[in-house]
Amino acid sequence: MLLGVKLGILSEVMLFGALFAAYFVIRGESSEWPPVAGLERPELLLPGLNTALLVSSSATMQMAVRAARGGDRSRILRWLGVTLILGGIFILVQGYEFATNGFGLDAGVFGSTFYILTGFHGAHVLAGLGLMAIVTNRARLGLVSAEHHTAVEATSYYWHFVDAVWLFLFSTLYLL
Amino acid sequence: MIAARRASLVPAPGLLRAIGGAVIGLALGAGLAAFGLQAELGQILALGYIFALLGFLLGIGAFRFWLTWAAGREVDVAEEHAAHGRAGDWRRYFRFTTDHKVIGVQYLVSAFVLFFIAGTAAMLMRFELAQPGIATSKDIYNTVMSTHGAMMITVALVSIIGGLGNYLVPLMVGARDMAFPKANALSYWMLPLAIVLVASNPLLGGFDSGWTAYPPLSQQANLGQQAYLMAFVTVGVSSILSAINFLVTVFRMRAPGMSLMRMPIFVWALTVTAALALIATSVVAMAFTMLLFDRLLGTSFFRASRGGDVILFQHLFWFYSHPAVYIMALPGLGAILEIVPVFARKPLFAYPLAVLMFVSIGVMSFMVWAHHMFVSGMAEFFHIPIMLTTELISVPTGIVFLAALGTIWMGRIQFKVPMLWVFGFLWAFLIGGITGVFLADVPTDITLSDTYFVVAHFHYTIVGGTIFGLFAGTYYWFPKITGRMYDETLGRLHFWWFTIAFNATFIPMFWLGIEGMRRRVADYPAGFGLVNLFISFAALNIALSVVVFAFNMVRSWRRGPLAAPNPWRAQTLEWQVASPPPIENFDQIPIVTDTPYQYGSPGAAPGSLGAAPARRLRP
Amino acid sequence: MSPRRHLLTAAAAWVVLSVIGVVLVAGMQIIPVIASREAEIENGAFVLLTAASVPVLMLVVVGLAYSALRFRSTDELADGPPVHGHTGFQAVWVGISVVLVLGLFAYGAIGLVEIRGAQAADFQVNISAEQWAWHFEYPASGVKSKELHIPVGRRVQLNLMSMDVIHSFWVPALGVKQDAVPGRTTRIHTTATETGTYPGMCAELCGLGHTGMTTTVVISNQADLDAWLSQQPRGGPAPSP
Repeated sequence: MLLGVKLGILSEVMLFGALFAAYFVIRGESSEWPPVAGLERPELLLPGLNTALLVSSSATMQMAVRAARGGDRSRILRWLGVTLILGGIFILVQGYEFATNGFGLDAGVFGSTFYILTGFHGAHVLAGLGLMAIVTNRARLGLVSAEHHTAVEATSYYWHFVDAVWLFLFSTLYLL
Repeated sequence: MIAARRASLVPAPGLLRAIGGAVIGLALGAGLAAFGLQAELGQILALGYIFALLGFLLGIGAFRFWLTWAAGREVDVAEEHAAHGRAGDWRRYFRFTTDHKVIGVQYLVSAFVLFFIAGTAAMLMRFELAQPGIATSKDIYNTVMSTHGAMMITVALVSIIGGLGNYLVPLMVGARDMAFPKANALSYWMLPLAIVLVASNPLLGGFDSGWTAYPPLSQQANLGQQAYLMAFVTVGVSSILSAINFLVTVFRMRAPGMSLMRMPIFVWALTVTAALALIATSVVAMAFTMLLFDRLLGTSFFRASRGGDVILFQHLFWFYSHPAVYIMALPGLGAILEIVPVFARKPLFAYPLAVLMFVSIGVMSFMVWAHHMFVSGMAEFFHIPIMLTTELISVPTGIVFLAALGTIWMGRIQFKVPMLWVFGFLWAFLIGGITGVFLADVPTDITLSDTYFVVAHFHYTIVGGTIFGLFAGTYYWFPKITGRMYDETLGRLHFWWFTIAFNATFIPMFWLGIEGMRRRVADYPAGFGLVNLFISFAALNIALSVVVFAFNMVRSWRRGPLAAPNPWRAQTLEWQVASPPPIENFDQIPIVTDTPYQYGSPGAAPGSLGAAPARRLRP
Repeated sequence: MSPRRHLLTAAAAWVVLSVIGVVLVAGMQIIPVIASREAEIENGAFVLLTAASVPVLMLVVVGLAYSALRFRSTDELADGPPVHGHTGFQAVWVGISVVLVLGLFAYGAIGLVEIRGAQAADFQVNISAEQWAWHFEYPASGVKSKELHIPVGRRVQLNLMSMDVIHSFWVPALGVKQDAVPGRTTRIHTTATETGTYPGMCAELCGLGHTGMTTTVVISNQADLDAWLSQQPRGGPAPSP
C-alpha cells in the first residue's frame, strides 16, 4: 500500500515538475520579471509566515505518525489536530494574500504562472487536509492502532510532499 | 443483513445507476456553471463533464468502499468479496467488478469497440482522399482526422496493458489479483464517459487541431477541441492509477521463487510500460490543463501576445508523447516475445538482454522528445544531441529482432495464427524502425517532417508493433480467457487479408511523402490521385479483414470448441490452470524454479502446480 | 543440415541480396527536385541512409524467410534445441548496431552543420504567415508580394513570422522547411543552385485552409530578379483582413 502511495507521489512530482518547467522557460525568455510594468512581485511577509506554518505542520504530522506507531490514541488525536489547524491557517493566509496581491489570473503570463502554481499547490493542501480529517475521525472512533495505521503513514508521506513542493514554490516564485 | 445495509452509503450500484448519475451530474454541473456562475459555453461543458464523471462513478459504485472507510465505518468483508463477481454471471461485466480477469475483458472489448469506431473514421478519411478535390468538406475532414487519431491513440495506449495485461499479469506472476483491485476497476470505469465525450466531439463543433492539439490553433473556438482535451486528461488519470497498480503488483506480489529475472518477458514489458505511464503522463495532463486554462480562465501560458510561449506546449506535450509511443509499443513487443518461444518450441533467445532492452528503451525514451520538433523553431542547439539520442535508441529497440530471430532460428516452428502475427510484426516493425532513422536524421527530416512519410512511419510502428501484438496476443490467449478455441481458418484469412492490405495501404505513403504530399490535408495535387485511390482501396480491405476477426471472435466465444487448459503447451503460469481460470486463479500459489522458457530441456516444468483439473467451463 | 551449414547458407543469401540492394540504391536521386545546395546535401543523406538500411532489412527478411522455409515443425510434439542465448553473437550484434548508429549520426551531424552554413546572408526576405496565405516582404527594396523571388547562387536568409497560429514554410525543391511561430521570428538560409519556378506550401496544420495555403517560388538570376523587383508596386498587395 505504501509503495503505491510513494508511486503516486512520484507522479505528482512530475505534475509539479511540468509546471515549474513552464515557469522557468517563460521566465527565462522574459528580459524582466514581472514582464509588465505596474505589476509588482508579492511581498515576502505572508508567504514567509506560510513557510513557517507548513514546515512546523510537517513536524507535527511526523509526531502523529510516531504516536500512531505506538498506538496512543490521545496523542494521535492531539498531533493530527495541531497539524490540521496549522494547515488550515496556511489556507487562510494564502487566501488573504491572493485577495490583496494586486493582480489577477488575467495579468498575462505573470499572473498565469503565479496563480496556477500556487493554485495547484493549494488544491493539494486542501486534499491533504481532507485526508487528515478523515484519518482523525477514524482515530477518534478507535480505528487506528499500532498494527493498523497505514492511513496515517500514507497521509504523512503526502503531507511531507506537499510541504516540499511549497518550499520549492516559495524559493522560486518569491525569492528568486 | 443490517450491518451490511448500514455499511454501504450508496445504494446497490450498476450501469443504469451510473448513467443516471452521469445525467444528474451533467445537469448539476452545467446548471451551476450556466446560472450560478454566468459562465461561457466552455466552462459549462467543463463543469458539466466533471460532475457527470463523478456522478457516473458514484452510480457505478466505484467509491462505495472508500466512502464507507472514510466515514469511519467497518467495510463489510463479504460484500467486498462479492464485488469479485460470480463465475458465469454476464452481468459482472457491466458492474463495478474487482476481479482483474473481468476488468481485463472489459478493457479488451472496449478497446476493440473503439478500434472499430476509429477505423470507420479512417474509412471516411480515405473516402475523401480517394480522389483530388473536396468531396465532403474541409471542416468534416479535419474533425474526422483528429478524432481518428485521438481514438486510435487511446486504443494503442490501453488495449494491451489494460486488456491483456490486467487479465494475465496476476496469473503470470502467481498472484490471486492485482495489488489494488478496487482501484483497478475504477481505472476502467473512468473510460466509458471519456470515450463518449471524445466520440461526441462532432456534435460540439468538432476540432481541427489533430490529436497533437498545438496552440494557438487549439486555443481558438470550437467546443469539440475542449471535449477532446478533457477526455484525454481523463484517460491519463486512469492510466496513472493503473500504472501504480501494475508496479505494486509486480514488485510485491510475485509467487515464491519468481525472482525478477524469472518473470515472463511480457510482464517485464508491461512493468517498464507502467513506469513510463506513471512518470510521463502527468506532464501532458498538465500541458492540456494549461491549455484548458488558457481557453477557460484567461491564462496566457501559450499566448505569445501576453508573454506566453507557444513552443513550450510542444516541449511539454512531446516530453510525454514520445514515452507514450513506447507505452503503446512495448506491450506489443512483450506479447510478441512471449509468443515466439511457444511456437518455435525454443527458449527465448537472450532473455536477460531483452530485459535490459526494455529497461533501456524506457530510460532513453525520456531523452528524445524534441525529434518531433526539429523544424519547430526551437533552440538550435537541441538538434544535434536529440539526433544522437534518437539514433541511439534504435540500438536497444533492435534487440527485439535479435531475441525473436534468435528464438526462431533452428526452432521447430508451428505456424498457428499467433505465430503468423509474430512474423507480420517482425516485418512491419522493421520497416517502421528503419524509416524512423530517416526521421531521426535532421537533414532528411527537413524534407520528411509533416508529410505522408511520417504517417506511414508511425502506422508501421504502431500498427506493426501494437496492433499486430494485440492480434497475436488476443488469438494466443483467447482459449485461456474464453475457454474455447477460435477458428484457425478464419484466423488465417484475417491475418493474410489484413497484412497484405496494411502493407498495400502504407508503403505507397512513403513515396508520397518524399514526393511532397503533406499530411493532414483534405486535398492534394492531381498527380497523386492514382496512388491515393489505390491506398483508399487497400485501406477498405483492412476494414473488411477486421470484420472477419470480429465475427471469428464472437462466434468462437459463443460456440467454439472447448479448449484444454494448455493447448499450446506453454510454460508460463497462466497455462497451468484451467481455461478460463477459477476466480481465485490458483487453488494453491505455485512455487517457481526457473524462467518459463525451458523448451527443449527434458522434464521442464518451471512452475509446479500439479495437473490442472479438467473443469466444466463457464463463459 | 548442420547448424553451421544453415548459418552459412543464410549468410550467403544475405550478402548477395545486400550487395544487389546497395548497388541499386547508390546512384539514385531520392529527392525529386533539387534546386539548392541544401537539397543536394539532404539528398546525399537520403542515399546514405537508404543504402545503410538495405543490409539491415535483408538481415531480418532473410532470417525470417529462411526460418519459415527450413525450420518448420514436422512433429507437433517435438521441441527445439535448448539454446538460451549466445554471448558472442549478442555482443557482435550490439557492437555493430552501436557503430552503425554512431556512424550515421556523425554523417548526419556534419550534414546538418553544412546545411546551416555560415550565418551571414546577403539577400533577405521577411515572410509572414497568416490563416491562410503567405506574404513576402523584401526589406532591401521595400517590395511586398505574394510570391517568393530569390536570386540563384547567393545565400538567402528567410525570416519567418506568424500573425496567428503556427504555420510552416516548406519549399521541397530548396530543401527548406521551418515553422512560423507567433511571438518569435525563426530563420532559415538557403543557396539556390538552379533557376526555375517551384511550389511552396504550408506544412503545419493551421486550420481549415491549410490544404490550400500554397505559394510560388521563383529562382532567377540577379538581372531578372532586379527587373521583377523594380516592376512590383511599392507596398504591394496588402494582407487580407
